[in-house]
Amino acid sequence: MSKKEVAKYREKVNWKKELRLLPGYLIVTIWILFGAAFLLWILAASLSTSREIFSGTVFQFQSGFHFENYVNAWNAQNVSVYFANSLLYASVSCVGVLLIAGPASYVLSRFEFFANKVVKSSLIVAMGIPAIMIIMPIYSMTVRWGIKGRALLIFLYICMHVPNTTIYLLNFFATLSRTYEEAAAIDGCSPAKTFWVIMLPLIQPALITITIFNFLGVWNEFFMALIFASSEKMMSVGVGLLQIVNAMKYTGNYGGLFAAVVIVFMPTFILYLFLSEKIIAGVTGGGIKG
Amino acid sequence: MKKNKSMIVCFLLPCVLAILIVYLYPVLRTLLMSFFKIESVTSDISNWSFYGLGNYKRIFGSATFRTAMWNMFRIWLVGGIITLSIALLFAVILTSGIRFKKFFRAAIYLPNVISAVALATMWVQYVYNNDYGMLNKMLRSVGLEGVKWLGTDTKFWAMLAAFIFGAVGYYMLIFISGIERIPQDLYEAAIIDGAGIVQRFTRITMPLLKGIMKTNITFWTINSATFYLWSKMFSPVDTESSTIVPVVYLYELIFGGKSVSERDAGAGAAVGVTLAVIILLAYLVMNRVFKEDDLEF
Amino acid sequence: MKRKMVSLLLAAAMVTGLLAGCSSSSASSTSSSETSESTEETADTTEAAEETSDLADYSGVTLTYWSMWTSTEPQAEVIQQAADAFSEQTGATINIEWKGRDISSVILSALESGEDIDLFEDSDSRISQNYADYCYDLTEMAEAADYASYSYACFTETITDWAGFLACIVEQPQVGGVWYNKDIFEACGIDVPTTWEEFMDACQTMVDNGYQPLALDSAYASFNFGYHLDRYLGEDAVSELSLNGGWSDSAGAIQAAQDIIDFVNAGYLADGAPDEYPSSQNKIGLTGQVAMVVCANYVTSEVDNNSGVDTNWGMFNYPSIDGGVDPSNAYAGANCIAISSYSENAQAAFDFIMFLTTGEYDQLMADTAEQIPADPNNTAPDKLSGTVEALLDTSDPLKWNMGLTDNSDLSTGIKENVVKLFEGQYATGEEFAAAMDALY
Repeated sequence: MSKKEVAKYREKVNWKKELRLLPGYLIVTIWILFGAAFLLWILAASLSTSREIFSGTVFQFQSGFHFENYVNAWNAQNVSVYFANSLLYASVSCVGVLLIAGPASYVLSRFEFFANKVVKSSLIVAMGIPAIMIIMPIYSMTVRWGIKGRALLIFLYICMHVPNTTIYLLNFFATLSRTYEEAAAIDGCSPAKTFWVIMLPLIQPALITITIFNFLGVWNEFFMALIFASSEKMMSVGVGLLQIVNAMKYTGNYGGLFAAVVIVFMPTFILYLFLSEKIIAGVTGGGIKG
Repeated sequence: MKKNKSMIVCFLLPCVLAILIVYLYPVLRTLLMSFFKIESVTSDISNWSFYGLGNYKRIFGSATFRTAMWNMFRIWLVGGIITLSIALLFAVILTSGIRFKKFFRAAIYLPNVISAVALATMWVQYVYNNDYGMLNKMLRSVGLEGVKWLGTDTKFWAMLAAFIFGAVGYYMLIFISGIERIPQDLYEAAIIDGAGIVQRFTRITMPLLKGIMKTNITFWTINSATFYLWSKMFSPVDTESSTIVPVVYLYELIFGGKSVSERDAGAGAAVGVTLAVIILLAYLVMNRVFKEDDLEF
Repeated sequence: MKRKMVSLLLAAAMVTGLLAGCSSSSASSTSSSETSESTEETADTTEAAEETSDLADYSGVTLTYWSMWTSTEPQAEVIQQAADAFSEQTGATINIEWKGRDISSVILSALESGEDIDLFEDSDSRISQNYADYCYDLTEMAEAADYASYSYACFTETITDWAGFLACIVEQPQVGGVWYNKDIFEACGIDVPTTWEEFMDACQTMVDNGYQPLALDSAYASFNFGYHLDRYLGEDAVSELSLNGGWSDSAGAIQAAQDIIDFVNAGYLADGAPDEYPSSQNKIGLTGQVAMVVCANYVTSEVDNNSGVDTNWGMFNYPSIDGGVDPSNAYAGANCIAISSYSENAQAAFDFIMFLTTGEYDQLMADTAEQIPADPNNTAPDKLSGTVEALLDTSDPLKWNMGLTDNSDLSTGIKENVVKLFEGQYATGEEFAAAMDALY
């Protein structure tokens, strides 16, 4: 909130109105406090020993703060590996999606040709197809042809996000004036170059919004990662965390488990602190348009 | 113009290929598989034998699948009503002119950006714990008996509540974006005419949110039909009838598991097709119920 | 021009990929350096093995090993050490892929498609029943290596029975029974009970002394009740009931359920049981007030790790029932290693399995992971004392859940009813039987 806004709020305290809104404040505050309480507990648990967790004495820190849980989770529990993998999957997929969806969206919004409608509607249909409908044939195809590894998962993530990204960007290209292209053509710029150098940068805000949306989608994706990245060195954070949770049953390091939970949770949380406005715009825009 | 043509082809080709390889071909093949007897998902097409509706008969004859469908239905109906009501309530509260709107909005949406595995672990290991869990501590501090939240009777509802807590923020955002598009002068006019807060909600907000409601219900349907992770997190050791959902059953049919005697990729495909049909039906029904006669504003 | 741009962007994407790849590989190298440190600690063991080793030269041979452990578990540490030592002595390279327990959902399709796998791990029953078609027949190699004197007959027989040949080698044996805190038994002056009456009396004595007799997590409810049913009916009859129903017509099943109802009503379950795994079993260590749990041997190290307390563990066989069909059989199962049927280096793979599951490394595994040694010539850790002898004496071991969950289609419903039985939701054995029959 900017200073100006704060000042504005201060000026206008209308107690009668605030009182009327009190029930509303109460409801949302309770909801948020509940969430905050359990996040705090997780944070405390990540600094405790298994014994303290299971005997319910987490907030007392009788044996001090166990920061080694974090070191342990990061190195020994492989969280660093899962982390790097997820970062790789999410960043490369986001770039890949833009490289495919950007040009396609531009062509679909700018040029009339016979297949235009067909492609557009099949993109919309594709958006509604659940992953479970496509996983079996892809799995069988890739296993039989021996395709595997990180590239496969990235390829799938890219393809999974092409339809919604293309549809989302359509509207933005449509709002751009044709004078840009005309001017570029007069200067002797080829249509393709015009697109990459002039048109694409013009919709930068939309690109950022949809990229945030895609990034979070890939980062938190679970089902495909579970099936296509089954080896420990390729696991994403979601599947890796599940591995840690499962292994914890046998090794009993619950402090390390919660430390891993915090490590997985922190980057998205921090990103969110700074970008919550953008992310929310991305969700409402990227989610409902089309 | 010829230049343009080659550019159109080059620009569109990757996108079209993506649709063909990752959507069209797999969907058709899954559809085909659901009518054949196939044991392994990787077996060659020459090893398939035609089975008619046998796979569908098999899954609908299976007690486990019926339990899974029933659970899914309860998630959809009960969970849907609760989630969308809370989301709508929050959306109305946050657009009623309260302070710190942006903070509240961000805080309520927060669970959506966290990995669901982390979120579910927190619920199972802490909130619902019998001895030191948050809920039982709260109950005991006011002198009540603790409840075994993860017992057979309550486990499903415990799972659903945890899922709802995370999901509300998303639907709230969509409602908010809808409410904010309603022109303010409609409300002002209503206030002048003496309409109360309830009347304003039922007469103005609700009718004008029809389109948004449709979007939300469609999303919720897709969400319930593809429900998987929360079920897995709430029954980590074994598949349990209180938490099983169709996708879990499908996974076990394809890859083998404790609730299926042998792998059966054909039946797995039939489960997938059934779910896809449910989503399609929901989509069509929604389009019919909320006809595109929305008021322009 | 456009192509140039695309390739430039692609290159940029690849660089990002490479960078991220670098960071991940550096991370894994730190963890492997940690393992090598611990290798040094056990250097004497390695040397000792070297002196006696008569391993062949496998230079240039590469073995791919899909493991059911995750790299952070103690089992994995030992396997990695063994693999390093084996490489050093024979020149073979062993690539281990840590798959975790989810290996059971990917291994079969991987074998079907002929993926490059030489060795893989899973439970004895899954390997020899579900994957047998893709398993190398180890019979001859085992004979040549005199495997019989390094193994438990009960496992080799069961495996051969299921698969039709020796499909895998035992890596981690397990045995089931009642695990208890010896200190509590001593404090109450209780002898180890052998019959159900004695067991009930012992529970009463414990309650009188302020202890809680039995911990139970719902994940093991079917195991616990399966044991009780087996004592009345025998495993085959339980399996038959599970598959075809007819619970209400089985006097033994009704009586077994009634016993559990009486047990629960007498207040012999620990507070909160049946609880969500692992809350209830942890109380044995955390509170020191809970005495027993019906489970397999790994419960001991789980409880010790979670509670940070070294409980004084003991074990006795599940009590017998007067006039019951099966008075004394115990559950025994194992996690095993198999060789893929198409492996080109089967002998090298087999030598590695033997290297890992017998002698020095098996002892190291038993000590590090606190489990029963796969080689009966080794000694079990203190808290598992007596388990090696128990396994050697077992001739016809029980399966997991003793056939109670053989009906895979109904297993989730059966399990739920059993948990309800322990929750005290049925008033009589007949009511439970009727609820079971309602599933069919």
